[in-house]
Amino acid sequence: MTHAGQNKIWEEQMSIKKTLIATSLALMVAMPALAQSDFPTKTITYIIPFNAGGESDLSARFQQAEWKEHTGEDVIIQYQSGAGGAQAWSQLNSIPGDGYTVMGINLPHTVLQPMEGSVGYKTDELTPVNYFHYTPNAIFVTKDSDYKTLQDLIDYAKENPGAVTLAGSGAKSANNLGQLQFDELAGVKTTYIPFSGTGPSITAVLGSQTTAGFNYATSGTNQGDALRMLAVASEKRLPAFPDVPTFKELGLDIVGGAYRGVAVPDSASEEMRQKISDIVTEINQDPEFIKKMEDGGFVLTDIGYEQMPEFMKKMKAEYTKSAAALGIGN
Amino acid sequence: MELLGYFLDALTPFNLMLALMGVILGTVIGALPGLSATMAVAVLVPFTFTMEPASGLIALGAIYTGAIYGGAFAAILVNTPGTPSAIATTFDGYPMARRGDGGLAITLANLASVFGGLVGAIALLLLAPPLAKVALVFGPPEYFWLAVFGLTLISALSVGNTLKGLVGACLGLMLSMVGVAVVGGDVRYTLDIPAFLGGIDITSALIGLYCVPVILDLVSTRAAHLKVNTDVAKGGMRLREAMGIAWRSKFNVVRSSVIGTVVGILPGAGGSIAGLVSYTEARRSSKYSANFGKGEPDGVIATEAANNATVGGGFIPTLVLGIPGTPPDAIILGALLVQGIKIGPALFNDETQVVYTFIFGLLIATVLMLPTGLLIGRYAYKSVVSFPKSLLVPTVAFMTVVGSFAIHSNIQDTQMMFGLGVMAWVLNRYGFAPSPIVLGLVLGPIAEQGFVQSYLIGNATDNISGMFFGRPISIGIIFAALLTLGYPFFTEWRARKREVQPLTERAMDAKAHPANLQPKSATPDAPRGLDAGAILLAVLFAALGIMAYVATDAMSPMGAVFPATISVLLVVFSIGLVIFVLLRKGNPSDKGDPAASTTRRILLTIIFGLWVFLIPVLGFFVAGLAAFGTMMVLAEHESRPAKTWLIRTITAVAVVAGFWWMMADVLLLRMPMGLFF
Repeated sequence: MTHAGQNKIWEEQMSIKKTLIATSLALMVAMPALAQSDFPTKTITYIIPFNAGGESDLSARFQQAEWKEHTGEDVIIQYQSGAGGAQAWSQLNSIPGDGYTVMGINLPHTVLQPMEGSVGYKTDELTPVNYFHYTPNAIFVTKDSDYKTLQDLIDYAKENPGAVTLAGSGAKSANNLGQLQFDELAGVKTTYIPFSGTGPSITAVLGSQTTAGFNYATSGTNQGDALRMLAVASEKRLPAFPDVPTFKELGLDIVGGAYRGVAVPDSASEEMRQKISDIVTEINQDPEFIKKMEDGGFVLTDIGYEQMPEFMKKMKAEYTKSAAALGIGN
Repeated sequence: MELLGYFLDALTPFNLMLALMGVILGTVIGALPGLSATMAVAVLVPFTFTMEPASGLIALGAIYTGAIYGGAFAAILVNTPGTPSAIATTFDGYPMARRGDGGLAITLANLASVFGGLVGAIALLLLAPPLAKVALVFGPPEYFWLAVFGLTLISALSVGNTLKGLVGACLGLMLSMVGVAVVGGDVRYTLDIPAFLGGIDITSALIGLYCVPVILDLVSTRAAHLKVNTDVAKGGMRLREAMGIAWRSKFNVVRSSVIGTVVGILPGAGGSIAGLVSYTEARRSSKYSANFGKGEPDGVIATEAANNATVGGGFIPTLVLGIPGTPPDAIILGALLVQGIKIGPALFNDETQVVYTFIFGLLIATVLMLPTGLLIGRYAYKSVVSFPKSLLVPTVAFMTVVGSFAIHSNIQDTQMMFGLGVMAWVLNRYGFAPSPIVLGLVLGPIAEQGFVQSYLIGNATDNISGMFFGRPISIGIIFAALLTLGYPFFTEWRARKREVQPLTERAMDAKAHPANLQPKSATPDAPRGLDAGAILLAVLFAALGIMAYVATDAMSPMGAVFPATISVLLVVFSIGLVIFVLLRKGNPSDKGDPAASTTRRILLTIIFGLWVFLIPVLGFFVAGLAAFGTMMVLAEHESRPAKTWLIRTITAVAVVAGFWWMMADVLLLRMPMGLFF
């Protein structure tokens, strides 16, 4: 397709979307919540507590590409990495709470980190307003591996306790938690090999340095058919990988991975928290955004501000239990 | 031919303009220490959303390659590697600049960078799929041995001071363990301070360890920062001479470019190690190996050819396997995904037009680097040489603050940079050079992760010794490391047999390039005084090692093995050093320039310290301007007319305001506000 043609279609889509937005904005103004349409009136800053190029950055970039259509204003992404995100989260509440600066927030990081010791913030001091997706854990092997199914791997692990090595990103991370859960539910003992990120750990899997990998399903997209995904830790099969069974289907109740959301400083008003949450929810319903995320192996969630207390309570209970297995917080 | 068509696609005026702008912007950003390729690429990503994928990629690739080359300027002119990839450029580039060959060094860096960049890009064009396998055959043991190989460079860097070099390396390795461990997840050596959780940022450490001592020495003397060559023929960029040198060193250029391409393929580690590996190889195979570290042009050529070759090399796993080789690669990968392009093994088949247009764009950008790089380099050299000290000192100091802050928008990195810098000056005074510390810091995490991962895998498969010593590539790297370690001893032995004074020994005493050095006179040295400072420091380090060892008690076995080993080594080397110094062996500490003003140095340290700690209180701009002004007065050794001061004040405001604008509005960094702004 020519460039001009693409542009034309894009413009048409834009205008359709604009009409939709205008309608919904009109509805909002009509509603009792006053001044709804006054926000945002200028560029919003979106801080990512990690380095550029990771899953947190990528999903924020996907949001950024649609942000202006939905809010009428731009969003700029800044990076403030360090200490696995803790450096940025420990400073979240010192940012002005006017809603023009928001920050990415991740689970299980923000629950596990404060349990380990002083990291400069406590879980309950942070204010997530919307958790919009998660990257489910998944087990990968190379395409010419002997293990065709998860059962093959489990059988081998049962015969040879400890001999199955699983590469994952980081120690005491979502990958590590998933591997422990897998060991417990499948009744096997595997050896977890922590790497300094998804890239290096996937490289180890591709190079057959380890038996398999306990990574995020997103890696399944980037590596194409060089890798075989044995099972994925989502509720339902992923649209991008219709042939890959979930752990649940295979009788292991493992659902989880890394959740990502948007947080605001604690000084932000209730109204502002709701507005930010609404923007994130609205982008989550954008067909283009949904397509890109699902193609990438991300699973969209819609945990808005109202559902947050309940969601956090559930997740904290879950992670506290797993933390004991990791030897954290004792 | 199909490829020709893609070449023409890349040649549209718009793409050429993007490549040119990208190279210029990249070179300028890369020349400022701390403002890295990663940052430049990240800022530009949103602009590429609206471009054709290939054009966007060309812009990003051009910025990236320009920034890697730009890093050479700061390394050569102010001894500050802006990225780990330029560390080895300082070893010979800065001594060259000091003795008046700065222009030559920059021109050599340019030629080597262009050639290295072309080799990397051509490898990407023609050999990407087979070369990607290199990334896969390198497992944890190979990474471990590669880091060990890099560490062997310490023996070469600290000729005549080997024990001090080893102690320095252990210190660097200990520093690299601060923070949350990747393997094991232990929180180590943070002294319960949250700021240390993230560990010591390598870039701010580089800036502090290399650049702060330069600033402290700069302020204390009247002498010019860099010697200006009075010979008119040698004052400029000396392109013809540089081409002659590069041609004579053609094997070095080619070997370093190939090493850079291959090592650059290794995800994560490649970029920082490639320059060090090719430097080590260039030194080992050179006839003038003793000149390395004292201004040997081959040292600059080796590093710069290698680090620009990593650009093309790093794209190989990025485009073929979908695994980013370096942080800028990761961002470019993200940009592709946002454009809706599926990356990974299918990319080379499904999106040939995008891929090949991009690779040709990268090649064109690399060629454009030749004229633009020489032009910008000439300007950079001229300004550093002609800037009065009174402006140079605060400007360089300001750049260290900007650079160390910009990496994570974190003022604690700046404070760490300053602390490490003062420490480096003191240590250097007693013969502990900064480079072994830096090598320990950079290679420590790679060595530790490789070691523990290999151990875990070996343990799980009941094959620990096979894991470390039974893999062909590992054996090759071990062999290369032994060769590097043993070769100097061999040449020395051979020289003694022929009854000539070995060059290493001559180089030991040399303050300048040893090629022009006369053999030592026959008169014996005057009796040496006791090097009390070195003893005191060694005792201190031994105590530190013991404390570090005790602290491993609370760690998990996985997290404890490396710190325990290194702390024992630190204690052993430190005690060895005490005995060595008591026996009056080894080189005495450098007493420094007697004309240097200690008062100015101490005052500058105080101002610098106040500055980095007052930024959060006063705000970045106000604190910066105040410190700039004070340093300006402090660095002036003469009395100047009011008009000069007026011009300098205007320059000061312009520099501070310019950087503020660039950081806040162009790079979109979060600036500390404080009371003012």
